[in-house]
Amino acid sequence: MTDDLQGTPTRGHSMQDRLILLLIRFFRAEWSGALLAIIVLGIAIEFATTDTMFFRPSNLMTILNNSAPIGVVAAGMTLVILTAGIDLSVGSVMGLTAALTGYLVSFWGFPPALAIATGLGIGLLIGTFNGTLVAYFGMPAFIVTLAGLSIWRGTGHLATSAQATPQLPEIFDYFGRYNPFSDLRAANQAGELDGFAAKIGAFVDTHWLSFFRTFQMSMLIFIAFFIVLSIIIANTRYGRYVYAIGSNEPGARQAGINTRLYTLMTYMIGSFAAAFGALLFLGRAPYAKSDYGQMWELDAIAAVVIGGTSLFGGRGSLWGTFMGVILLKLINNGLTLAQLDTFWQMVVTGGIILVAVGIDIVRQSRDPEAVRKLLAAVGAFMAFLSLMTPASFWLGARISLMEHNAAMALREAGEKLAPGHTARLMEPAAVEVAMTTASANLLGALALLALTVLASVAVFRTSWLTTLGLALMFLLMIPVVAAMGYGVTTPFLVMGALVIGASTFVFAVFERARGLVENG
Amino acid sequence: MKMKFTFAGAAIAALLATTAAQAEDVIGYVTKSATNAGWMMINQGAEDAAKEEGVKLVAVGPSFQGDLSSQLEVFENLVAQGAKAIAVAPVDSAGIAPAVADAMSAGISVIAIDTGVSGAEVTSFVATDNFAVAKEQGKAAAALVADGDAIIYVTGNQAQSTGQERRNGFLEAFKAERPSSEVIEVPTEWDSAQAQEGVEAILNARSDVKMIVNAWDGGTMGSKAALENLGYSAGDVKLVGFDGASDAIVAMDEGWVHADTAQMLYQMGYQGIKAAAAAARGEAVNPRIDTGYFLVTPETSAEYKKMIGME
Repeated sequence: MTDDLQGTPTRGHSMQDRLILLLIRFFRAEWSGALLAIIVLGIAIEFATTDTMFFRPSNLMTILNNSAPIGVVAAGMTLVILTAGIDLSVGSVMGLTAALTGYLVSFWGFPPALAIATGLGIGLLIGTFNGTLVAYFGMPAFIVTLAGLSIWRGTGHLATSAQATPQLPEIFDYFGRYNPFSDLRAANQAGELDGFAAKIGAFVDTHWLSFFRTFQMSMLIFIAFFIVLSIIIANTRYGRYVYAIGSNEPGARQAGINTRLYTLMTYMIGSFAAAFGALLFLGRAPYAKSDYGQMWELDAIAAVVIGGTSLFGGRGSLWGTFMGVILLKLINNGLTLAQLDTFWQMVVTGGIILVAVGIDIVRQSRDPEAVRKLLAAVGAFMAFLSLMTPASFWLGARISLMEHNAAMALREAGEKLAPGHTARLMEPAAVEVAMTTASANLLGALALLALTVLASVAVFRTSWLTTLGLALMFLLMIPVVAAMGYGVTTPFLVMGALVIGASTFVFAVFERARGLVENG
Repeated sequence: MKMKFTFAGAAIAALLATTAAQAEDVIGYVTKSATNAGWMMINQGAEDAAKEEGVKLVAVGPSFQGDLSSQLEVFENLVAQGAKAIAVAPVDSAGIAPAVADAMSAGISVIAIDTGVSGAEVTSFVATDNFAVAKEQGKAAAALVADGDAIIYVTGNQAQSTGQERRNGFLEAFKAERPSSEVIEVPTEWDSAQAQEGVEAILNARSDVKMIVNAWDGGTMGSKAALENLGYSAGDVKLVGFDGASDAIVAMDEGWVHADTAQMLYQMGYQGIKAAAAAARGEAVNPRIDTGYFLVTPETSAEYKKMIGME
């Protein structure tokens, strides 16, 4: 990665220049795409949920708590992907070690510490197995770990007969749901504290629901794990070699790096992280079972990629993965709080992943034209969203009329109607309502369709004059749409006007940024 | 893929060859899952019925729960290798239909277990009526809260008829009795971790939730874990389950779960294979066998435990 932009704010710059330099610094970080997506999504959910606030410490900590197990797994995956490898077996390894650890404690009478050590040891062993095949036998990582995906899942089911254990001993809570403040709170409630301790105790107790309740070990271990691992990566020879192997393995080998050894170590860390993730999961789960962690390999890979790490290796960061994991969990949490329909949740999840990765690609291109296109595309998307409000009513009414007519035609042709067909027949009154809905929304939908088309054209060719005109049109539509009774679309239109207006300044900002960086 | 197909084919062929020598009827049994606690009870019932009927049971399942393509593959292999009857628990009601239609037209009896087939005739459908039982669950749940109390409903997969019927039945009966109660939904794909995370998110945002109703007992256990994670004790928020799985019954004894509509899971497998064996012998079979349900509450749990052989 070549760094031609050396942006550090220095004294003597104007406010505007400092802002530009801040922007440069922000977008130079690999995790900026994911973080931007997190912020935008968070704000959107905040607006969508009326009675429940999204940006509350307790909700944010819940997201962190639930991110912990998959986050640790994804951290290991990041290292593997940085070496241009892949580990598809992490979900199965997580399931195997979770089930086995629980099984040893529950049915073999192992002391918990020994069972935990066994589980982590099995993780290391599997990593050694994977790493040896990849590094010393030259087998493709994809194949080795695809086989592992099946082998370790099957082994987990076989070893435990795929049965759930009873609830695990309390010591496992220290890896998950244990709250360091719970003892203090209990002592305060029992009136055992005095002096300064009593003040702290009372403070914890009054803020229990809004803050301290969700302050749990999962979250603390999760953050600590990332800090430790990122320090190791940044400061050790191992960390540098991981990047070297990923960007150019033959070159690294010629430079005298024992690439095989370091590749082996990376797979060991990857599987160990999966086993450690299993431990964190057990700390919050009802029991241990061998079907835990299904599809986690895909979630982990998604988190790594969203975080800006290249699937071809050599480029990326752990903190990007941290943001990626949080983004994935935030989507689940936020969409549940917003009570969005299940099927829409699936669609929206995929859309957000595309956006995060799209921002990352534009960020890497460092091309003002690409940034302008992205902004214009966001503007067009905003126009599309406001179009969908009347258009969905129009479409919905047209579709139900069409389905009604098709079912009627079948009945008139004397065919036997299936239950799905009869469900689509409507009463005459309902037909009337559908027709009025369709005609009432047609004009508004057409106007917004025109806006969407114009905004889409502007993505590909534009001048600053037409762009400003377009931004003005967005603003003009606000009263029109409000008159139709769709005031809810105002935020979309305002956002669209802002984004499109901003797109005219992209070239100037880039120009200034170049100047600043060269002189500074 | 090709490799896997031949392996599965060879395995079934070998099984069929050995059994042909013993002149037993061969019944194929395509299950939905070998690892889910509820399914393991159904599978047990199927095995016991096969022993009683003196038929050879070839039991095969998808490689992971919900995988339609691998289920279709094993189903077609069973047809090709000449099973007399096939009992199948479809992972996808519509997806399995063409394969079922082919088998039926080839003269093989097909018994659907637990989940129906939409778009093809079957010899018999052996299942609890999910919609009817979910209505009972809704009634039992309504009795546990006052009108106006907010509750959480943890759904099953809404792309499957089982998940849809349980949700619709519950909501219909519950809303009829508690019209001003708010129902907050946690969508899942039958995954207890999803249930746990969703319930935790909502309980964090709202302190007025009085009860959590679950579409299956994996969800019940996930909801219980969420309550424990947030430091609630048994009974603070009531839990209602569906399935009557043994871990949910243990949780009922501890005071967490207040009602659970149990499907007669063992009966589903047992009656399904009995029907398949009868059809293989050419006897007439009732096209719809309802295996019933049992409402487990702290009062009736002793009776239920005796019935399923849980000490």
